Amino acid sequence: MTTGDWHIPPGLLERYLDGSLDPVGVMSVEAHLVRCARCRTAVPADGGWLATSWERIAAEVAAPAPPLTERLLHGAGVPGHLARLLAATPALSRAWAAAVAVALGFAVAAAHLAGHGFLAFLTLAPVLPTAGIALAYGRRIDPAHETYAATPMAGAPLLLVRSTAVLLTALALTALAVPLLPAATMPSVAWAWLLPALTTTSGCLALATRVPLPLAAVALGGGWVAVVTGVGAVTGDRTLPFRPGAQVLYGCAVALLTLVLYVRRHRLDPAEPR
Amino acid sequence: MTPTVTVRGLRKRYGHTAVLDGLDIAFGAGVTGLLGPNGAGKTTLLRCLATTLAPDAGELRVLGLDPATASGRTGVRRRLGYLPQDPGFYPHFTVFETLDYVAILKEMTDRRERHREVTRVLAEVGLADRARTKVRKLSGGMRQRLALAQALLDEPDLLVLDEPTVGLDPEQRLRLRALVSRLGESRTVLLSTHQTEDVAALCERVVVMDGGRILFDGTPAGLAAVAAGRVSLGDHRPGPGALFWRTADGRYRTIGDTPADAVPAEPTVEDGYLLLVGRTQEAA
Ligand SMILES: Nc1ncnc2c1ncn2[C@@H]1O[C@H](COP(=O)(O)OP(=O)(O)OP(=O)(O)O)[C@@H](O)[C@H]1O
Ligand SMILES: [Mg+2]
Repeated sequence: MTTGDWHIPPGLLERYLDGSLDPVGVMSVEAHLVRCARCRTAVPADGGWLATSWERIAAEVAAPAPPLTERLLHGAGVPGHLARLLAATPALSRAWAAAVAVALGFAVAAAHLAGHGFLAFLTLAPVLPTAGIALAYGRRIDPAHETYAATPMAGAPLLLVRSTAVLLTALALTALAVPLLPAATMPSVAWAWLLPALTTTSGCLALATRVPLPLAAVALGGGWVAVVTGVGAVTGDRTLPFRPGAQVLYGCAVALLTLVLYVRRHRLDPAEPR
Repeated sequence: MTPTVTVRGLRKRYGHTAVLDGLDIAFGAGVTGLLGPNGAGKTTLLRCLATTLAPDAGELRVLGLDPATASGRTGVRRRLGYLPQDPGFYPHFTVFETLDYVAILKEMTDRRERHREVTRVLAEVGLADRARTKVRKLSGGMRQRLALAQALLDEPDLLVLDEPTVGLDPEQRLRLRALVSRLGESRTVLLSTHQTEDVAALCERVVVMDGGRILFDGTPAGLAAVAAGRVSLGDHRPGPGALFWRTADGRYRTIGDTPADAVPAEPTVEDGYLLLVGRTQEAA
């Protein structure tokens, strides 16, 4: 191809200059620029332009490759910045996830050993996310809390992002343990922990609009265990809290508690007087 | 010119101690320095202004908004850069990740734009070559610069810097001065410090606090003038009760009543500050 008769059209040049052109286009434009003095004059080679270009390159080089969880979330349609926040939740450290896995392991073992052992699994699963949330947010827990408290995402937005991350992890790990339960528990009761887990989580966050988060987590986690064992002891039927009738109640509770949380979300702000 | 920050009757107590006791003050564009002894209430005041602490009573207006309301707070936070006195980090994050995370919390959702901004503030504080270093591997001064960098993200209109020069080497302190004074040309910068030289070099206004009250509010030259006629240099050791020290050339520099054989010396911001604060301690 000779350079005499063809020159870069203005639209293409514009996209090349503002950086919106795809890599193949960029390469073609640059191959042409090397040979065509006339088109080169159309490219502003001033210091400012060069500096921003370098800055952009430097930013891309310095930016670390996103971790696997972040890429998976992004792949699942979660916007990049939210995927980043979700994946970087401090409670999702290996220590917390390991503790959850160990607890689930014990519960699965109990299910195999004792006749009603699977009840331990069903009782434990809804406690896990409340513990995780208490470990994911707050002045005492998070070393950077004071810095984050002065950003527009302080309070409810950040707490909800982190709670979502914790809840999804706890649910995923619990779901992975379900196939390990004794075949006899399948499938009618094996998933009976799911709505209770959503209830304790939404309850914990709703209560945190009134009392400190760690207290809310203990109240909901402990309260759940107390209710399940209490109902079992009083009625003599320890499976009662996991029957379909109870599940309807949990469903209603989740809806109600989520509404309470939405209405009172401003109370989660670190600068809200209590 | 309307002030950026107005404080009226601000009160904050912890238990039975009133840390801020009905504070009234306003801040406008430029660099204002807050001086005061440990426990004077500087951090408490700055935290109230940075919307991380709710005051017990009083009225605040920050950037024309009311931090007592949820929407006011969010509005302030969108235009605020805040360096806490004790900024914590996640040690396993890299320098870049640390800033990227704060930038996301500052609602910079566009990845490219955000990364460019992170790179910009890294260059501002001289940490560009440390972008991929883990925070736990940084020196104390570098960590302080990282904390400053996060405050600069998104070009805030109001900067609240609680002891920004702590732990910086002389060269970095100079860099910080240049940076802050440049920012102060168009924005409001409030900083607390124990370095009277920083105040003298950098601030057009200085406020001295103690016991949650304001003892002085004026220019650094005005603060130095508080000590006019009260600073002297002599060849003999002053009597007991005087505040003095031996200078490098072996003479005695006294703050307070001039000893018999001494000659008056040029007062500094530090002299004025020491006299002001010393007087209240005597009264207490
Ligand atoms: N969370 C808290 N609980 C109880 N007392 C507190 C709390 N924070 C601060 N104080 C008290 O409030 C007073 C003022 O503290 P503040 O941190 O505002 O002082 P400061 O002027 O910033 O001091 P420094 O120069 O040491 O940083 C001190 O007496 C301190 O003990
Ligand atoms: Mg302080």
